[in-house]
This record gives sequence, structure tokens and C-alpha cells, in this order.
Amino acid sequence: MDAITLSQTILLSITIAALYAAIASGLTLEFGVTKIINFAHGEFVMFGAFITYFLQSNYAINPIIGALVSGLVMMALSWIVFEAFLARVLRQDEHNQILATIGLSILMINLAMIFWGPDARVMHAPDILPALRIGIVTIPGNNLVVLIIGALLFVGITWFLRGTRYGLLLRLASDDPVMAKFAGVNVHGMFRLSFLIGGLTAGISGGLVALVLYIHPLVGTDAVMRAFAIVALGGLGSIGGAVVGAAILSIAENMTSTFVPGGGSWGYGIAFLIIVVVLVLRPSGLFGKELRA
Amino acid sequence: MRTLPAKILLYVVVCAAIAGIAFSDRPFWIQLAIGITITAILALAWDILSRTGQVSLGMAAFFGLGAYTTAILDPITNTYLAWLGVIVVCGLFAAVLGLVTLRLRQMYFAIATLGFTLSLQVVVLVFPDFTGGAGGVAPPLLAGGDPAMQLLAIGGLLIVAMLVSDVLLRRRFRPAFFMIRTKPELAASCGVPVVRTRILAFIISGVFAGLAGACYGGLYGYVTPSDVYTVNWSIMPLAVAVLGGMDTTFGPILGAIILRLLEEVARELIGGVGYQVVYGAVIILFVVALPRGVTGALKALFGLSVRTPLGTRPAATGS
Amino acid sequence: MADVSLSTDSVVVAFGGLLALDGVSIAFPQGRITGLIGPNGSGKSTLVNAMCGQIRPASGTVRLGDEDITRVRPDLVVKRGVARTYQIPRVPPELTVEEIISVPMNYGASGRQAKVAFRHPRAVAEFCGLGPLTATECRNLSVTEMRRLEIARALACGPSVLLLDEVMAGLSHEDSVSVMGLVRELHEAGITIIIIEHLMRVITTLCHTVFVLNNGRVLAEGEPKVVLAVEAVREAYLGKGFRP
Repeated sequence: MDAITLSQTILLSITIAALYAAIASGLTLEFGVTKIINFAHGEFVMFGAFITYFLQSNYAINPIIGALVSGLVMMALSWIVFEAFLARVLRQDEHNQILATIGLSILMINLAMIFWGPDARVMHAPDILPALRIGIVTIPGNNLVVLIIGALLFVGITWFLRGTRYGLLLRLASDDPVMAKFAGVNVHGMFRLSFLIGGLTAGISGGLVALVLYIHPLVGTDAVMRAFAIVALGGLGSIGGAVVGAAILSIAENMTSTFVPGGGSWGYGIAFLIIVVVLVLRPSGLFGKELRA
Repeated sequence: MRTLPAKILLYVVVCAAIAGIAFSDRPFWIQLAIGITITAILALAWDILSRTGQVSLGMAAFFGLGAYTTAILDPITNTYLAWLGVIVVCGLFAAVLGLVTLRLRQMYFAIATLGFTLSLQVVVLVFPDFTGGAGGVAPPLLAGGDPAMQLLAIGGLLIVAMLVSDVLLRRRFRPAFFMIRTKPELAASCGVPVVRTRILAFIISGVFAGLAGACYGGLYGYVTPSDVYTVNWSIMPLAVAVLGGMDTTFGPILGAIILRLLEEVARELIGGVGYQVVYGAVIILFVVALPRGVTGALKALFGLSVRTPLGTRPAATGS
Repeated sequence: MADVSLSTDSVVVAFGGLLALDGVSIAFPQGRITGLIGPNGSGKSTLVNAMCGQIRPASGTVRLGDEDITRVRPDLVVKRGVARTYQIPRVPPELTVEEIISVPMNYGASGRQAKVAFRHPRAVAEFCGLGPLTATECRNLSVTEMRRLEIARALACGPSVLLLDEVMAGLSHEDSVSVMGLVRELHEAGITIIIIEHLMRVITTLCHTVFVLNNGRVLAEGEPKVVLAVEAVREAYLGKGFRP
């Protein structure tokens, strides 16, 4: 293992880390704040990835635009899902929420399998940005795009939640719906909006996934697993924590697949192992508190 | 289904059906019944944990652990100890995993159990010397390989699972479980050890799933990782219980029968890939429209009491 | 300190940057009815949560007699004999009165600690005036009946200390009188009672001592009539210059 390979691995890991962080932030918005349980969040990412992929490979549409389109489509789908049944289930208990969205997740994965087949695809898109040379290592152009947009998404969501009045109202609406209603907040509308934003984020993240990862029906589950590991490592709602968590996870994964023979399939093992170890040592994650019931 | 005669009737019917099919000398029905019974056991196991408010997607993990434990232990010790080993191994895994993850909020627990399942897949493939790798393992044959006897043995396991389920539905436990599921903070204020109860339920759930897996492995004496460590075995119990009616003993059994038959039909129509779309649709439909499952709908239809623990009230659907 | 049941010592609870409790030290006398009052936001509910193990104080201790129970889990606190009611009912609406009461009866404090021993949930229900309603689902109970149920539920825990969190709020005069009678009976049975209330009538009628909380600190303590006449206490509630 030489310095070049190591640095290369680390740099690539960081770009993927930005992607995971973006996905995790959508999850944070939906679940960490509004406590809407959307087990199918990963599947929204997956659909977004497929949409971007098909737009690029069939119509040569720039993946960035493709990602935006995916975001909008997923936002529309979120609307449909919310009105069709999620709103109703929200009024029932959490137990039913998670069951219903598990059902949605299964439905979407299998629909994807029926429409697009179970095999993995790769998007062969021309570099949007030129590759960046830092000393002796190179970051491919598309990885740069993922890094930038992923980071923007993540920062954007976090800022929205913490820095804007809207975000404050949203947090109020979910912490104390009764009080929020008294204060004139349209609680139902806020939940719907946050779910839509979650869908938008998921769709755009899906576009990013299409740029740098394999595209297949289970890529969403992969992503959520990793997002969960990030949350376990870094805690919800903690910017520094999520960044550190994402970095640790993707570095560990990349190292394993690069340096351990046959290590490519260790992805889940690593994510899960990290989750378990962190939770044993620090039940509230490395930084955050909101994991516990 | 709250009265004692009704409960006994259920046991009698189940025993009669299983015995009847086992001695019917019709291989197709015996195989079908075996599949339904294993599914019913898994669904009951899932439901037992679900009653404490935690949704597990890890049934496949314990299912596979059961099959692999008997396969690995049988050559080393004897068959009886191998089966005992299933209980110990699954119990231990459930206890350890539960201690770490059952404190988490529902969604994270579900993801963690899913991760557990997927990781075990990987572990099996990465340590082929120990686990037989992709080639699979050879669990000891159940009941000497005779399908009729196998059905009887698995039927026996189902009866045990039903008994455990019914014990937990008795008036001493059911309100507490209900409270743990819907209002855990209040349950704690009543002195109920919430996490410990969940861990206990998880252990029971894992052990039964493991025993079911060992039975499954013993059907032909051979399983591969993709036979048992598939998420399918995690999703099916969930769909079955939701369809049949959660928080009951009858529901998972009824659900197993219906869903297994539906699955056969769907497989014909849609083909090998993606037929599980039925599960997804079923789960959503029932959770949203018929949360009490078919059992609840039937009770409402016949004007029977839909009430759970003690007491009765006029039937009503929905929650 | 044999005559002190529940006590806190310099308990500090902070939520983010907000200090909900700023060094609260209170000793609730054993076997008496003690009041805990204060304007909204003074920290009363937070104190109750901290004493019952639902919130962990940033610093300070909570004691039951001589035993430090600061970091004890809520269900274990119940098993040691401390029970509480909830201001806003959170009972599952689908369960019946008898089912709700049966849960703490099966899981609450062991028999020898209980000041009042009941053999069956129905006995608890009757004691609290819910006799004919044992098979009724909670969603069909009136406000008063829900209050009684909360008391019954807490009583079924077999407590030696009972924390009543605003049980009288919104009750009619008649209802509050009969609930006060129930509280007296519990007191006569030997249970230490801590009442959090807004209704001063209840405090002056029932309590031997009262503590006043304001902005997370103890403002005053003593006999109700005396404490309520203190200028600072009136100001805390009514603002300066208000004449009742």
C-alpha cells in the first residue's frame, strides 16, 4: 500500500461521504425532526437514480439536470404517497407508520425489479467537471460534482432546519403539535412540506448515486443502511458528527474493498459492524442524542 | 376468539388439519402444508416481538442461524445437542443484538435488524471454511426425510408457538404489552421494565425463528445461503401477520394460509422476479384500511366482539 | 432522615441552553400532604419528571429516604414505591379501566411496601369511585373519570409516595371535592402525597406544607396560608402591582 493509493482511496471516500451525508440529511429531515417514519426513503433515492440514469443514457441529458428532474419527480411521488395513505397512517400510531412504509419499500423495490430488472447498471456519463489534480492524486470530475452537490444538499437541509424561521416552526410542530396548533401553525401542512422536501432531497441524491455508484433496485437499501451507520456514528442533527461519521464509514468501506481480498462484499458487514460497535460503546452515537426511544 | 372453547377449537382444528394432511398420502398437499406451517411459525414469532412495538426485519437472520447451527453442530456433537444449540445460539444472538438495539427508536431497530440479516449473508460468504460458503451446508435430516413425519414434527413446533403466543395474550401480559407498544413511557410509570420485556420477546422470537429454520434445513438436508439468508424470509412473516391480524394467535396462521396461496398464484402470473410486489401491496393495503387484518374483518363481519384483552364491545373495523 | 420521604438536593436540569431547574433542594415530609406550586414554566413538571427518573439531572441528587435514586430507571423508581399521575392522560384509549389498573398491579411495587394493599384491580377501581366502570374503555370516560383512573393507576403501583400532577384541573366543584376526599383517604392510609396544583383552594385545604417554585428555583416554603401571603409569591403569579 503506497501513499498514492492510500490518498486516492481517502479522497474518493470523502466524495462518497458527501453523498451519504446528503442521503442522511434527507432522512434526518423526515425522521429526525418530523418523526415521520419513511422506511422507503432509500427507495425514493433508488428511483431517482434510475430516472437520472435513463435520462442520460436514452436522451443524453446532463446528469445534473437529470438529478433535478429526479428530485422533482420524487417530490411529486412524495405528494401522492402522502395524500394517498401516509397522512392517514400518521394519525395512527408509529407502529403502523413503519409497517406501511416497509410495505411501500417492498413495493417500490419489486416494481423496480419488474420494470428494470435486478441487474446493476453503470451510467457512462461524460465528465461534467474536469478532473482535479491535487498533488499526486486525482479526483475524477464526476466525483467532484457529487462532492459539491452532496455537500450543498447537506448544508442546505441543515441550515433550513436550524437557521430559518421555517425550520424552527417545523421543529416546533413535531415536538409539540398541540402547542404549535395553538400558535397557528398548520401542522399537517408542515409535515407534508417536510416530506416533500425529503422526497426532493432523495431524488437529487439519487441522481448523485447514478453518477458514481452502480444502479440497481437495492441501491436504496444500501444507502439507507449506510445513512443509518452515519447517524449512529455522528448523531442526528449534528453537522460535524454527520461529516465525521460519513467519512469514517466510507473510508472503512473503501479500505476494505481495496485492501482485503474478496472485500468488496463486505459493505454491509462494515456498516453493520460499525453500527453495533458504536452503539455498544456509546448508546447515543458518537455525538448525538436522538437515536434512543 | 377470546373464550376458552373457541381457543381449544383452534388447536383442535390445527391438529386435525395437520394430521389429516400428513396421513393423506398426497405429496403436493404435504409440501404445501409444510410451507404454510413454517411460515405460520415465523409469523407468530414476528408478531410476539411486534406486540412490544418493535418491528423486526431480522427473522431471516435467525432462520438461517437455525439451519446453519444444526448443520455445523450435528457432525461435532449429536443431533439432539445440535437442536439444543439452535435455542442457545439464537437466544444469545437475540439477547446481545437486543441489548444493543432495542433501546433505539423503531425505525432504527428495524434498520439494524435488516443490517443483521444482510451481514450474516456476507459472513457466510466470507468465511467459507467454517460455513461452507456459497456451496451451502448439510443440516441433519428432520424425521428421517419422510415428509409426512416432517409435517407432524413441524406441526408440533407450531402448536408450541401457538401456546407461547396464547400465554402472552393472557390478561396478565396483554395489557402490559399493549401499553409497551403504544405508550412505553406510561408503561414504565406502571413499573413495567420496557426494554427488558422487549429483549425477552426478541429472544422468544429469535428462538422460534431459528427452530423453524432448522426444520427447513432438515427438509432436504441441504441449504445454501441464498435459501435462508434472503430478506424474503424477513418480509413474509411481517406481511403474513399484518394480513392475518396482528396481536392474535389465529391471525398469523390464517395469514400464512392466505398469503402462501396468493404467492403461488402471483408467482405464476408475474414470474420469478418481483412477485414479492404482492407483499408490499398487501402490507400497505391492510395497514391503512384493515389494521386488524382478516381476523378483525371476519369478526366484524360476523358481529363478534373485536375487543382484545378483557371485556367485549360491539364489533367495529379499523382502529 | 427518617421523616423525609422524597427529597432533592441541588437538582439542576437544563434543556439545551434553558435552565429548567436551577439548583432545587426540597425535602418532602413523610406521611404528609405537601403542595408544590408555581406559575407556568416554573419547573414543576420537570421536577416531577426528575424525581421519577424520567429526566436525568445535570447535577444534584434525588433521594428516597436515604437511598440515592437519581439515576434509577423510571420503572425501578415505581418498584421502590414512588408513583405519579400524568397531567395530560396518556392511557391507551382502547384499554379498559380494569386492564389499565391491572398493569401496575402486576408490575408495581412489591406488596410489603404498599401502604394500601389491594387484591384485585376492581378493588382499586372501587376505592377510587370507578367501580361500575371497570369494563369501560378509556376513550369512553369523562374528564373526571379519567382523573380518577390516573389516581387509581398510580395507586395500583403500591406506592409509599404518590405524586399527583394537577389532578383537579378542569373539574367541577363537586368533583374536585370528592377527589379531595379521595386524596385524604390515601393520606390517612399512610401514603406520602405530593400535590402539584394551580387551584389554591386545594392547596390551602389539603396541604400541611407547600413549596413554591419560580423560574426553576424554590421561592418559598411553609404553611399554605403563610406562603400565599408572601409578596414575592403573589408577584410571581400575578405580576407586580396586581391587587387580587
